[in-house]
Amino acid sequence: MKLYEYVIRRLILAVFVLLSVSIIVFWLLRGPLPPETALAPYITPKMGPLEKLQLARTLGVATASCPSFSAFTSRAAGCIVPLYQQYFSWLWTALHGNFGYTFLPGLAGTGTTTWQVFSGRFGYTAELAIGGSVLTILIALPLGILSATHNNKVPDHLSRLFALLGYSVPIFVLGYLFQLVFGLYITVPLNGHALGLLPISGPLTTNCAICVANPGTVHSYTGAPLFDGLLSGNPAYFWDSLVALFLPAFTLAVTTIAALTRVLRSSMLEALRQDYVLLARSKGLRERVVIYRHALRNALLPAVTIAGLIVATLFGGVVLIEIVFAWPGIGAAAVSASLNFDVNFLELYILVTALILVVTNLFVDIIYAKLDPRIRY
Amino acid sequence: MDIEEQKRRRSELRYVLHLLRRNPLVLLGSALAIGSVLLALVSPLLVPANAWKISNFEIQNCWNNSLFNWHIANIATCPAGKVYPLGTDFYGRDLWSMIVVSLPTDLTIAFEIVGAAFIIGVTLGAVAAYAGGIIDEGVLRVTDIFFAFPVLSFAIVLATVVERTFFWLTVAVLVIWWPTYVRLSRSQILGEKEKPYVEALRAMGAGRIRIIFRHLIPNSIYPVLVQATLDVGGVILTFAGLMFLGFSPLPQIPELGNLVNIGISKSSFVTAPWVVIFPGLAILLIALGFNLLGDGIRDILDPRLRR
Repeated sequence: MKLYEYVIRRLILAVFVLLSVSIIVFWLLRGPLPPETALAPYITPKMGPLEKLQLARTLGVATASCPSFSAFTSRAAGCIVPLYQQYFSWLWTALHGNFGYTFLPGLAGTGTTTWQVFSGRFGYTAELAIGGSVLTILIALPLGILSATHNNKVPDHLSRLFALLGYSVPIFVLGYLFQLVFGLYITVPLNGHALGLLPISGPLTTNCAICVANPGTVHSYTGAPLFDGLLSGNPAYFWDSLVALFLPAFTLAVTTIAALTRVLRSSMLEALRQDYVLLARSKGLRERVVIYRHALRNALLPAVTIAGLIVATLFGGVVLIEIVFAWPGIGAAAVSASLNFDVNFLELYILVTALILVVTNLFVDIIYAKLDPRIRY
Repeated sequence: MDIEEQKRRRSELRYVLHLLRRNPLVLLGSALAIGSVLLALVSPLLVPANAWKISNFEIQNCWNNSLFNWHIANIATCPAGKVYPLGTDFYGRDLWSMIVVSLPTDLTIAFEIVGAAFIIGVTLGAVAAYAGGIIDEGVLRVTDIFFAFPVLSFAIVLATVVERTFFWLTVAVLVIWWPTYVRLSRSQILGEKEKPYVEALRAMGAGRIRIIFRHLIPNSIYPVLVQATLDVGGVILTFAGLMFLGFSPLPQIPELGNLVNIGISKSSFVTAPWVVIFPGLAILLIALGFNLLGDGIRDILDPRLRR
C-alpha cells in the first residue's frame, strides 16, 4: 500500500470515528435527559405552554400531532420525534455550523449562540495547551537524555522519581499549591506593596510583580491573548499574557513531562545500545555528537508516537487547570455546561476535542511514516 | 510440567523477588500501596463514631480566642493542633478522620473500575485477536471511537446524564477506561497465538474457549496486569478530578477529590490551605504507591531492562 492510499483509508476511518462520536454523544445527551432540556436555551419567562409546544415543533423535538406541552414533557406516545430523526436534523444544522443557542449561566436567554461562546473561548484553551506542550518538550527532552546517558546513576533516579511524581500528583491540588507559593508566599516589593511574583488567575492580569501595568491596545486576531499581543506588535501585552500563562501551563505540563521523559529514556537507552552508536564512537566522534546526532535522532521516533497521548492528556487535564486558574477556556465552560445541562455546548465541545485528537493521531502516523523509511503500509 | 521445569520456575520467582527487594523504589511503592489498602480496611476502627458530628465546643477551643466570633461563616476550619492532627474542614469535621473514611470509598471505586476494565478488556481483546477477521475489525473500530475522547471530557458528558451516585459515576469512568486493555491484551494474544503449542492444542482437539481462557490469556497476562497496577493510580486521580469538579453525589460526602472541592469552594484556600493540601497529599501518596509498584514490576518483568 502506498502512503497516500493509507492516508485516504485513515481519513475515511476518521470520518467514521467522528460520526460515531457524534451519534454516541447525541444519544447520551438527548436520550436520558427530559425532552424539554433541548428547549431550555430558547425559553423566555413569558412563554405559555402553547408557545413552548410550538417551539418544540420548530426545533424538531415534538411531532406535529402532539396535543399539548404537558403530553410532550411526559413523553406521551407519538409525541416526541424519534431520536434518530432528531439526530439527522441536528447533524444537518450542525454541518452548516449552527449549534443552537447556549444555556450557560449568565448567557442563557441573551441569544448568544453556542458557536460564539465556543469560538470566543477556544483561543484561551489552545494557548494553554500549546504552552503546556512547549514546556513539556523543553523540560522532558533534556531530562530524558540525561536520564539515559546517566543510566542508573543519581540523575536517572531523580528524573525517574520526578516522572513518577508527575504521574501521581493530582494537578488540581498542585495548581493551588503553586498559586499559594508563587502568588502569596514569594512576594516582591513594588511601590511599597508586596505583590505576588506571578499572577495566579486569569489569562491577563496586572496584579503581579513582574507583569506590565499598561498593556495598551490590541486587535483580536486569534482570540488567544498571547498570539494577539504578538500579532498586534504589542510586546507589553505579549509579555503580560506570557507571564500569566506560565503557572497554568507548567501545572498542565507536569503529567505529560513525566510521560515523555519515560518514553525518551527507554528509546534513548535502546538507541545507545545499537551498533551504529558503537561505530560512531569507534570513529572517534565526540560523545556530544554521538548522543545528539546519532542516538537522539533515532530515539525521537518512538517519542513522536506518544504525541497523540500527550494531546489527549492535555485536553483532559486542561479542564481541571482552567477551573483552578480561572482560565476562560472551553474546559471550564464544559463543566459549567454539564452542571447546567447545556447539551448544545457539550455536543460541540466533545466533537471538537475528538476532532483534534483524531487529526493529531493521523498526523503523528503520517509523520512517523515519513521519518522512518522502514515503515511500509 | 516436569520437576526440572518446576525448579526453573521456582528459581525464576526467587530471582524476581530478589530484584524486587533490591529496588528501594519498589519497596516504597509496595509499602504505600499496601499501607493505604490496610488503612482503608481498618478505617472503621480508627475513626471515632462522632467524627461526623460537628462539635462546636472543640472548634471554639481550637481557635483559643474568646473575642473571635466563631458563629459567622467559615470559622469551622481549624488549623492542625492537639485535638485535630490535620485540622478540620468547613463543616468542622476532623480532616484526618475524613481522609481515613474516604480511603475505602476511593480505593474500592478504583479497584472496581480497573478490575471491570481488565476483565472486559482482556476478554474482548483475546477473543478479537484469536478470532481475527470481522470480529477483530469490529472490536478495533469500537476502541477507535472511545480513544477519540479525552478521559475527563467524556466522563463530564456522562456525569451530566447519569444519576449522581457513586455507582453511576464509577460506570462513567469505566466506560472510557476499558479500551486500553482491549488493545494491550489483543496485541499480547496476537503474538502468543502463533506459538507452536497453540497449534498442538488445536491438533489435540481443544476447543476455542479452552484455548483462549486456559492457555492464551494465562500465558500473556503479565503486561496487562502491570498496566492494571499502574492504572489504579490514574483512576484514583481521574475520579478525584471528577469529584473535584463538583460531580459528587452529596456536597459533604467524604471522598478525597470532594474534600479538595470543599476546601476550595466552601472555605478560603488562602486562610485554610490544609483542607486542600492534606487530601491532595493523600491522593498523591496512594497514586505514587501504585505507580512505583507497577513501574518496578514492569522493569523486573522486562528482560531487556533487567540488569
